[in-house]
Amino acid sequence: MITLLKNGKLYDPANSMDGVVKDIYIRDGRIIGKPSQAEKIRQTYDLTGKIVMAGAIDMHSHIGGGKVNIARMMLPEFQETKNYSEPEAHICTPNCSHNATPNTADTGFRYIEMGYTAAFEPAILPINARQAHLEMADTPMIDKGGYAMLGNDDYFLRLLSNNADQKAINDYVAWTLHATQAIGIKVVNPGGISAFKFNQRRLDLDEHNVHYQVTPRDILKSLSRAVHDLGIAKPLHVHCNNLGAAGNFQTTLDTMDASDEVPMHLTHIQFHSYGTEGDKKFSSAAAQISEALNKNKHITADVGQILFGQTVTASGDSMMQHLNAKHANPKKSVIMDIECDAGCGVVPFKYRDQNYVNALQWAIGLEIFLSVEDPWRIFLTTDHPNGAPFTSYPHLIRLLMDKSFRNEAFAKLNLDAQAMSNLTSLNREYSLYEIAIMTRAGAAKLIGLNDCGHLGVGAQADITIYTDQANREAMFAKPDYVFKEGELVVKDGKVVKVVWGKTHTAKPAFDIGVEQNLKKYFDKYHTIQLDNFKISNDEIAENGRGQIINQTKVITHQGRA
Amino acid sequence: MLGVAKSDSMNSIRLNTKQIIATCPACGLLCDDIALKNINHQLKVIKPNCAKAVAFFEQGLAQNTPLIAGKPATLQAAILKAAEILRQSTKLVFTGISTDVQGFRALYSLSQRTRAKLSHMNAASMARNLKVLQSSGWQTTTLTEVKNRADVIVCFGSDLLNHNARFFERFVDVDGMFVTSKNRQVIVLSEASNQDTIKSDALQAAWVLPCSAADLPSITIALRALVAGKRLKATEIAGVKVNDLQTLADKLKAAKYAVLAWVAKDLDFNHAELTIQNITETVAILNKTTRAAGLPLGGSDGDTSANNAHTWLSGLALNDDALNDEFSEHDAMLWVNSFSPEKKPPQTDKPLIIIGNSNIKHQAEVFIPIATPGLDCSGTLFRVDSSVVLPLKKVRENNLPTLAEVLGQLEEQLK
Repeated sequence: MITLLKNGKLYDPANSMDGVVKDIYIRDGRIIGKPSQAEKIRQTYDLTGKIVMAGAIDMHSHIGGGKVNIARMMLPEFQETKNYSEPEAHICTPNCSHNATPNTADTGFRYIEMGYTAAFEPAILPINARQAHLEMADTPMIDKGGYAMLGNDDYFLRLLSNNADQKAINDYVAWTLHATQAIGIKVVNPGGISAFKFNQRRLDLDEHNVHYQVTPRDILKSLSRAVHDLGIAKPLHVHCNNLGAAGNFQTTLDTMDASDEVPMHLTHIQFHSYGTEGDKKFSSAAAQISEALNKNKHITADVGQILFGQTVTASGDSMMQHLNAKHANPKKSVIMDIECDAGCGVVPFKYRDQNYVNALQWAIGLEIFLSVEDPWRIFLTTDHPNGAPFTSYPHLIRLLMDKSFRNEAFAKLNLDAQAMSNLTSLNREYSLYEIAIMTRAGAAKLIGLNDCGHLGVGAQADITIYTDQANREAMFAKPDYVFKEGELVVKDGKVVKVVWGKTHTAKPAFDIGVEQNLKKYFDKYHTIQLDNFKISNDEIAENGRGQIINQTKVITHQGRA
Repeated sequence: MLGVAKSDSMNSIRLNTKQIIATCPACGLLCDDIALKNINHQLKVIKPNCAKAVAFFEQGLAQNTPLIAGKPATLQAAILKAAEILRQSTKLVFTGISTDVQGFRALYSLSQRTRAKLSHMNAASMARNLKVLQSSGWQTTTLTEVKNRADVIVCFGSDLLNHNARFFERFVDVDGMFVTSKNRQVIVLSEASNQDTIKSDALQAAWVLPCSAADLPSITIALRALVAGKRLKATEIAGVKVNDLQTLADKLKAAKYAVLAWVAKDLDFNHAELTIQNITETVAILNKTTRAAGLPLGGSDGDTSANNAHTWLSGLALNDDALNDEFSEHDAMLWVNSFSPEKKPPQTDKPLIIIGNSNIKHQAEVFIPIATPGLDCSGTLFRVDSSVVLPLKKVRENNLPTLAEVLGQLEEQLK
């Protein structure tokens, strides 16, 4: 039972293939080497002239969990009603849409239609992880996974302020990965969500949390060290302090320094690249940020591009979202303190091209994309739905690949914003190979997905096939074929088969003795039992959906790049 | 899987000798520290002394065989009969919806296939909160934050005990990380305090401003104005002295972490959402300078779970499109009720299918007894604060089918 994809042009950066014409053989959901004559080829697809890439991986997209669901609940006006035909109608409801807050079925369908075969929820509150996994389990077509949020939880802050040794921190971090079934660790506004509960309104990198007397820098050092020591692939995922604030680029630069050469990923960096120049005291600091990214090889970043239109911002950063709530459009928002664990803020937003700040945000994101030299260290995201819905990725890809298209869009922006951006002087156009790095090979390497994001022998056969078109937006919006684990699931941009994907996790070794102190803490301060905090494999993989994959390999530190 | 449930295996309790700690779905608090023991083949709650928990875990197993028009039937026959009713219906309504996440997923799937409308038994009170969320949003907190931070707790409309009997015991009469129980103050704006079996020091020391629920619209708007720094000409609002409200406003402003709690079910008057909004907007004003948070309480019969699951499955909150639906248009009704056998379906003269707790006693064309999550089968429920989701345990042994199993088979018949 072998499927042959014949004569396709492969863009497979993990195997250094830049438009190489090569056949791909698939058996039992995996890519295999050329089989012997004796083995029967069941089906052959002639891909002559077609572009072949691995399935794309969204390394940062808010697809499940409390705040996304609050956004859906709060904003019925963004839903539209449609009727779908089989097989999509099989699980897609009349409410499925292309809006900022798609339901779970919609999320899976819209991703796979664009050739994405995996997406990672970047902000799982550990206490809310069960909900995130319930939602992801109801998200069809794609593989899922998530990053657990630490660094504002009182258990961790108590450890840090009591000068606990690094081993105690490492064990707690590893325990959290296991308990929440996550593949990475994120920190959001380090210390700031906690500080907001003590009525602090901003927290700079070296400013103390009034209660714990620790700084964001202390938190970042401790957590990035823990993640590194545990040997998981995904570096600490950092949402810096001062999101959205004019002048915050300095915090972002200082955060890069705070990592002490330990790998760190700065997420939606566009929202953290603002200067204070000009009449409006809001300017692009993309040049400074890009220069620092080019210099600091241990730092990676995703952009969090904004695109114009209605969306909703859903963040764990209750401190900054409370500050931003005055800009809500429509005028409503939800701010929550959650379980001595973290918080959240949900604020609807309408980005307008004639608004100076919004127009400049758009330009800043693109300036960063075009100024960061190494595509292995910069990732294509809109921080869905915060900058724009993920369904706008094909448009964003065209902006990166097509300079005249980009400059035409720029010429329509608010004139004051145009005057403050050097975007038109950036001549770079991304190649297909670079797009494949950003959205496939690089993302898989960053997260530590050993068998995804490439087309080599042994890879999970998640494969997307496009027709080469000059209009890159049209090309990336509607692949000819998408294979998920070797099965044809999309044909001509339409789903032809429903599948459910896997759950990727990282489970590094740790000292279970950490549970002794955790149990005491839970019994005294928490409102649930420690055992109920932990999510079992069976809970996630019920109904045969969402099979757990542990991506942790035993890696020596010397062996790490 | 089809067949009559075997009565000889009924009522045997899963735990043989030792104590077991279980999670209680009887109210929105979802207490997961319930100690159960098997005493003479009867499940007994050892602690706590909560009437709702006792009623839930110590309930018997009554009707374990499906009924068609009141007569015992096989599960297969009951499912076929129910399928026939659903197939003939063009305006179907699913009511009750008292179930957990797994049950709701199956119910939602069936509702999509049959184009049924969904209406939870708590729809009216859920709608009050939802209207506020969709109008202005809100700033809220969760139970662990209350336990560890809240120094001033205001209860609007009731002392909460009727709905959440252990609220004070578990979260207020205990020391938190940042506040001691002695340093907390409770203020109650409601009619005379309810009696309950669980004593609370904080509640006994509470400052009670007696008022009826119907007076809350004017009292909450006055409080909101005072917290905003406005002066009132009146000296009394609905029997409450403005000076007292000013004192309350000052306490809220001086608090490190004030919590303003309400149970939507208690605010049972026209446009109660505006009263809730007065409370949440008072919180928003406080948060400009100090810290405060709203806390919607109550919740049970899986309402928070059904709402959340419906929201992620459909993109819309539950009942969003069926508010004020009086079911006048329906031509058949399915009543799903896992947790509260005493609650009755809405009046209907159309064919009625009941799928629910074995203790339900209500005439119906078809009755299919099912496993109750947290008792007869495992499950998953959302706590009332919506952030915490807990697993439910199977604590007694029988072969009642789950709601998902029954609905799955029912849906097969409709394909």
